[in-house]
Amino acid sequence: MSLPESMSRIVIVGANSRLDQAIDVLYSMGTVHLIDHTVDADEGFTLGTPRPYAPKASERLLKVRSMEKDLGITKKTPTNVVSVDEIKKKLSADSVEFAEDEVISVLDKKNDLNQRITELNAKKKSLDVLSKLDIDLDMYSGYRSIVSMVGTVAVDPSVALSGIPCEVEYRAGSKKEDGIAAVFCRVEDKDKVQSVLSDCDFSEITVPEDTGSAAAALKKVEHELVSADAEMVKIEGELAALLEKHKDFLKASEEELAIEVDKGELPVRIASSAYSFVADAWVPTKKAESAKIEIESKVEGTYVEIIENRGRTMKEVEAAEDRFKEVPTKFNNGRMVKEFQYPTKLMSVPKYQEIDPSILIAIFLPLFFGMMIGDVGYSIPFIILGAYGLKVTHHKDWRAIATVLFFGGIWAFIFGLFFYGECLGMHFVGEHTADDVTYTWQYLLGLDNLPAFFEGILPGGHGVTKLGADWIGFQLKLSVYIGVCHLLLAYCCAVYNKTLQHGFVHAFKEKGGWVLSFIGMVLICYSLAMILIYGQSFDSVMIIIGIGAVALAIGIILNIPEDGMQAVLELPGIVGGVLSYTRIAAIGMSKAGMALAFNYICIGMIYGGLGEGPIALIVAFALFAFLHLMIWTLGILSAGLHSLRLQFVELMVKFYEGGGVEYEPLKIKRVKTTSDKEKA
Amino acid sequence: MAAAEAAGLIAVGAGLAVGLTGLGAGIAEGNVGAAAVGAITEDASLFGKAMIFMVLPETIVIFGLVISILAIFVM
Repeated sequence: MSLPESMSRIVIVGANSRLDQAIDVLYSMGTVHLIDHTVDADEGFTLGTPRPYAPKASERLLKVRSMEKDLGITKKTPTNVVSVDEIKKKLSADSVEFAEDEVISVLDKKNDLNQRITELNAKKKSLDVLSKLDIDLDMYSGYRSIVSMVGTVAVDPSVALSGIPCEVEYRAGSKKEDGIAAVFCRVEDKDKVQSVLSDCDFSEITVPEDTGSAAAALKKVEHELVSADAEMVKIEGELAALLEKHKDFLKASEEELAIEVDKGELPVRIASSAYSFVADAWVPTKKAESAKIEIESKVEGTYVEIIENRGRTMKEVEAAEDRFKEVPTKFNNGRMVKEFQYPTKLMSVPKYQEIDPSILIAIFLPLFFGMMIGDVGYSIPFIILGAYGLKVTHHKDWRAIATVLFFGGIWAFIFGLFFYGECLGMHFVGEHTADDVTYTWQYLLGLDNLPAFFEGILPGGHGVTKLGADWIGFQLKLSVYIGVCHLLLAYCCAVYNKTLQHGFVHAFKEKGGWVLSFIGMVLICYSLAMILIYGQSFDSVMIIIGIGAVALAIGIILNIPEDGMQAVLELPGIVGGVLSYTRIAAIGMSKAGMALAFNYICIGMIYGGLGEGPIALIVAFALFAFLHLMIWTLGILSAGLHSLRLQFVELMVKFYEGGGVEYEPLKIKRVKTTSDKEKA
Repeated sequence: MAAAEAAGLIAVGAGLAVGLTGLGAGIAEGNVGAAAVGAITEDASLFGKAMIFMVLPETIVIFGLVISILAIFVM
């Protein structure tokens, strides 16, 4: 069984003067999962303080990140790798500050210019409107007893203003644009004029301070705008040059500074006294001894003690101090199963004391997927796409999908070739009569040696027909039997988990009842099906019913103390759970139904019905390809989701608790910087 | 005639089995899905659990589909 890797707890004790060295060694080992120290956990110890270089490093990190944002450097910007020695030299020579000065001076210029352009644009907009009136700009202001109001209006205000002594200048606008009006009136009439104007949807324009005609001023502003734009292009060029100049340095220093900050703040997580530090950590048991030797030999005056090799029982958890209760989970899977950790993590990280279900998912998820697809024609693109995805992508979501497609595709190929004998919804082997709606490859391609090739391989001579009346019962029964085995496995895992945690007696009391109830229900339902569907006599299945009833009764009795009424109420759920596996057959059938219809449309109706010329052939082939592509795409969704659901809902719910903490050892990941020392 | 009628009724029954279960599952999934998306927006780590709740009602459609397949091909 696949349990998380077993862990040991170590304590590292050393002198504060060697702390930096110790931190470097812990990071370079990459196996130490640090346990956070809690205040007052040990007498005489407090939380440590960050290393002296940490505040400066975080300040610089902030500057670097803000510069990256200003210059538009993103994760995807391609940059060159810089050596650690070089970047350290640059950092100590205050290169960050120099770069910042350069960037800020250009950015300030850009911001000032941006503001100027905004102002000019606003001025241009008002002048645009004002230039329709033949009034010089200096005529609008500078009076003692007269005020001017100028702005856009929806209707001509002259008539409405005829009762008030004032001068109105109006130019009608176009259909889309409002007209413009300038009104000069006495100061005391201002309110009256304003109220009249507001009825005409007046919206005032601020007249720019200038002399001469608005048109001349507009030309001047336009000229200024052109030169401002040119200046902007120049500044953008300067910024682009800065980006080129600094991008390597910025990306590399961001990485280096982030590492420095991580290292510098590590003491906050460990206990420290005036002269010494104490760090608790988890390491994989098989590496505990070597870790002890490595730390003690590399950091002078440091002592490492292996405190415990933690077992899986809950007693050990209860006996431990609070901060040592939870053991990190280090997945213990091979290369192939590792790819299936993603669905497990999607649910939750397994606890240290339980089976990691990744291996079960790795077996059953592709198997169910393959059974639901079960077609050579669809499986080949799945395998190719999956293999390509696994080779190219490193994104975990895409990798997970590619994994299912690849392994599921292989299963689909196996089932398609040896079980269903199908390619693109058509059997390889079989004759075709005139009123048949189904076709076979033997008939289509005229390959008369196909039956000989598949002889003895395929069930029934031509393979299982997904929508054949004779085969439907068989497929449904097969799905149900698979479900029974799958669920029984889940219950066994539940018993195993509880045995690990509390011993067998406890496990039997807690989960054994459910195993028995499950077996009882399955046997009773099997017998009932035999009687009701297949018409067998009660006597012939009496023994099975008897065993089932006894198992069920014992199961319920065992479950009642733990689960109360749930012990009885959950029983129909068992039947539902098993029947839920009929989806394996049902989804295969639904896809076969679509394929059958599409094949008939393309081959029977278009190619056969419209004539057998080259055009009909091309149309039929194009439609054939398109329609099958549709089924194939739907296949990813329905088969993928449903086989995942069977793992999550039916299998894992029975035994999986999750809620563990993932093992995260201290380590350095360098992408943009290289260090010969750390590589060696 | 009677055979044709029986075949027609079977087809209607099969259609009802898939259609009605589909409706039921759709309504249930709509409610669950809305809540699930809300929960995932708050905390993306709930995706696994949300997905389980999300696909729970789908079983009903599968039952409907199985019944209709049985009705058409086996009966």
